[in-house]
Amino acid sequence: MLAALVFPFAASAVIPDKPQPERLVNDLAGIFTPYQIDSLERELVAFDDSTSNQITVVTVSDLEDYTVAEYALRLGNKWGVGSNRNNGVIVLLKPRGTDGYVDVTIQVGRGLEGAIPDAYASRIIRNVMGPYLRQDIYFKPVALACEQLQALAAGEISEPRDDDDEDVGFAIFMVAMTMLLIIIVVIAIVDDQNKRGGGGSHYGGGRGPTVIIGRGNDFGGFSGGGFSGGGFSGGGFGGFGGGSFGGGGASGRF
Amino acid sequence: MKKGSVLLIVVAVVAVLGIWGVKTYNQLVGLDEAVSSSWSQVENVYQRRSDLIPNLVATVKGYAAHEESTLEGVVEARSKATQVNISDLSEESIRNFQQAQGQLSSALSRLMAVVENYPDLKANENFLDLQAQLEGTENRIAEARRAFNETAKTYNVAVRTFPANIIAGICSFPVKGYFTADEGASKAPVVQF
Repeated sequence: MLAALVFPFAASAVIPDKPQPERLVNDLAGIFTPYQIDSLERELVAFDDSTSNQITVVTVSDLEDYTVAEYALRLGNKWGVGSNRNNGVIVLLKPRGTDGYVDVTIQVGRGLEGAIPDAYASRIIRNVMGPYLRQDIYFKPVALACEQLQALAAGEISEPRDDDDEDVGFAIFMVAMTMLLIIIVVIAIVDDQNKRGGGGSHYGGGRGPTVIIGRGNDFGGFSGGGFSGGGFSGGGFGGFGGGSFGGGGASGRF
Repeated sequence: MKKGSVLLIVVAVVAVLGIWGVKTYNQLVGLDEAVSSSWSQVENVYQRRSDLIPNLVATVKGYAAHEESTLEGVVEARSKATQVNISDLSEESIRNFQQAQGQLSSALSRLMAVVENYPDLKANENFLDLQAQLEGTENRIAEARRAFNETAKTYNVAVRTFPANIIAGICSFPVKGYFTADEGASKAPVVQF
């Protein structure tokens, strides 16, 4: 069960790992200036803080034989862009390289597919980014796209970020219930033996409970891990929160 | 006294086996549910694609009326694909499902190839929106299929591993099928502007 929950998003090895420290603007292709990166990062962090939606910009110079959409989808699921409401958006751009194309995609987290339908994402790419990308201008269209995506996303989910403790609460509840069950079983067994009146039989009496308790622990054998909340960390980006992507969004080649 | 302790050991062994059996059964039920839910996601996204087609065909027809055979091919493949309803997730059922949907995928890629010859259509905003929706849906299909294979694999490993396979055999937890990579049709088409 746990394996089923954990492994679906085990991404392939060629997709880059999450940056350390985590950032919203990841210019892996090296096409932006430090000033551009900082200003966009600040804007996107502020948007994350005020609405909890995470818009991430990634540039790469090689798509490793994936389509641009597939690459961004895998990257989003690997990094966990978005919170547990799956409200992440990825703007991924591959600048014109040896293949002669600019590839760009906007991938929308499952929780924002209603706010940013595929057709809207496509219009941003076609009408807002296209004219610049055709001339190999990269930063301006990305910044404009982020602006439009913020407007769309804020209409759907717009509440300040807070850490969700639901998972922790549930884990505590499960532990408590398991312990209660063990206690009941032990009491029932001890009680049963007392009734049987075999008070002197410390040979037979010792065996039953020990074995049952051993199984009982195993019964509750789950790990409480897996909750990663993106909290504040002194004004900077708080980190990705484990959001998932299902393929919504659009892409284009220029 | 001796009889009593033998009885106790028997009771303990039965209890341990019982608890193990229940635990294993519940685990398998959980995994089975995960497979079912990822399957319904697969059906969802294929349905989404199916729902897009009438609109797409109507739009293309407006510009490329004499591509009738290609358009008919899409409509026909769509109706065939929607007729495939599968009750179990056996290897054979999934193969049939995938075959029918694969035919629709090829019909759609033929249509999109034909569209290249109609610049007016390619400049039509309505068509471009539909094309984007189709692309997004193909990506959703790929993702849903991958997720399904992932959960089906977890389930299959569980029902085939000793000793859980004993419980799986008694309580009938059949092995599930997988989606196989299909030739060329699995990748969403690249939309070039």
